[in-house]
Amino acid sequence: MEIDLRSNTAAFDRRQVYRPFLERLNPIASIRDLADRDLIVPRDHDPRDAAQPPIHAAFADAAELNRGTQMALVGGIGSGKTTELLLTQRVLSRHSDALNIFVDLANYTDLNELHTGAILATVGLQLYWHLKKAKKEPPEEVTSAHTKLRELALGKTVLVPVEHWQGYEEREEAVRVEVPGLMRLRFPALRREVREVKDLLQSIASPLLENDAQITLLIDGLDRLIRPERFREYAEQDLQALRGTKMTVIVVAPLLLWYDKSRFLLDYFDLVKHIPAAAADPGDSAFLRQILERRGALELMDRAELTSVAKYSGGVLRDLLTLARSAAEYAYRDDQDRIGRKHVWAAIKQLGKRYLAGLGTSHRFCLRRLAVNKEFPIEDSTARELLVNRQVLEYFSRGREFFAVHPALAKVLPKRP
Amino acid sequence: MIDFAATTPFRLVRRLAAAGQGAPSVYLLVCEAAAVDAVRADIAAEVEVQLGFNLRSLAASQVQPERLEDAFKSETVWPVVLVTLDRWLPRLVDSLDRNIVLLTRTGMVLLLASHEIAERALAAGPNLRNRLTDVLLIKPDEAFGDARA
Repeated sequence: MEIDLRSNTAAFDRRQVYRPFLERLNPIASIRDLADRDLIVPRDHDPRDAAQPPIHAAFADAAELNRGTQMALVGGIGSGKTTELLLTQRVLSRHSDALNIFVDLANYTDLNELHTGAILATVGLQLYWHLKKAKKEPPEEVTSAHTKLRELALGKTVLVPVEHWQGYEEREEAVRVEVPGLMRLRFPALRREVREVKDLLQSIASPLLENDAQITLLIDGLDRLIRPERFREYAEQDLQALRGTKMTVIVVAPLLLWYDKSRFLLDYFDLVKHIPAAAADPGDSAFLRQILERRGALELMDRAELTSVAKYSGGVLRDLLTLARSAAEYAYRDDQDRIGRKHVWAAIKQLGKRYLAGLGTSHRFCLRRLAVNKEFPIEDSTARELLVNRQVLEYFSRGREFFAVHPALAKVLPKRP
Repeated sequence: MIDFAATTPFRLVRRLAAAGQGAPSVYLLVCEAAAVDAVRADIAAEVEVQLGFNLRSLAASQVQPERLEDAFKSETVWPVVLVTLDRWLPRLVDSLDRNIVLLTRTGMVLLLASHEIAERALAAGPNLRNRLTDVLLIKPDEAFGDARA
């Protein structure tokens, strides 16, 4: 009985050691919670250029100096885009007249059913909410614009007499025919409904803009559209509608746009920043090590294990946390007080297998070609799939962009395609 | 077939209990197609015994891709939602992928699928794949001969 009690006490103690560590390492934890707990390590320079300020500082400076600037942040899944947006928002909050609206569109609208104008509508509703929260009763025209905007955004129920509804199709007297013009506009004209929403949004924002307030819209979630053409549709309508309104926009864009031949990102946006995988040699990356150390990794693992976790994360920040967390779980289940080499290796293999899933012969061939010959045809659809899925990572070092197989995947990839 | 780390319903729920309710997590559980019903029943029983409440269990074919918020709304203090991907539904997987923040905010989400559907879901859902807490092979408890003590 005494032995049981002792072993239970030991187990209890170890749980108290591991549990807080696991909580700090949750790769899908709320970024705001992490920031409030001071667990975020901001980069100290632009990931592509050590001589430039970090992305959040560059974005904040541009927003403060040039109202109405439109900026895009592009990077792979798990590269830390949302964190950079949040850091930007925090820097911008240093001025009392700054109104920063941070929206992840998935929280407000179904990204499968997103229509042009929906981004403007979301921003308009949020702006109104901020005005109300400031405890100032908005002027009548603002309230009226908000009422109309809500109807447009959320829809309304109208009663149509049956006799008006029946035979509606037959009463159409004209057929819509598009007559192409002589000019092919660089960016298409705004649709009627987008113009309407834009006018309402401007009415809501007018009391703030008249007082020279600095309004910055930080829009997250559009990168999850994956396909560049879907993103482009919103940029050409909703974001274009915001041009000239003095409202600044910072939007997260899909990684594939960075490699789009049309150069849309660079042509459309005033400032574009790219977050490549965190370091050309993640094993040596001080930034990655700092992230783990800030979350208490050295309490549970030695520097050698910490370096392995950094290296095999490939520099993908979410994978860095996943690996450290997974290694800790293996160690806990192995009844160990510290994370050892074998636990880190088990975690690396498990992550690698996750990336192995769904790979067909053409994918494996492409990966092999990259690993052996350093060839990666980015125009090829298979290559793009691998990049989007993070099985291949993009790096930037000494002015040169290059690709590599995710190191955890490389570890478990069969030798023959 | 990829040999992900293996678990049982008992061990999985113990893991959820150890993580605590403040830890959102999304697991993809892979099992033999013939064992899906048994695994689902075992998970429901373990959630009831170890966590003390009823599991919210849905078949993927019951979930409307355009109404994900209904499927993942939290009705309890500590929600655990199990969605069985009972057949290949590309629209649903696409929707889960794009609206992944709804899942990560729910609490604990368990996606249960056969090997084939799990691989297709991982390939079709890059955002989902990146945010999964883990991918585990799950077998009914008796297959492992798990001691319950």
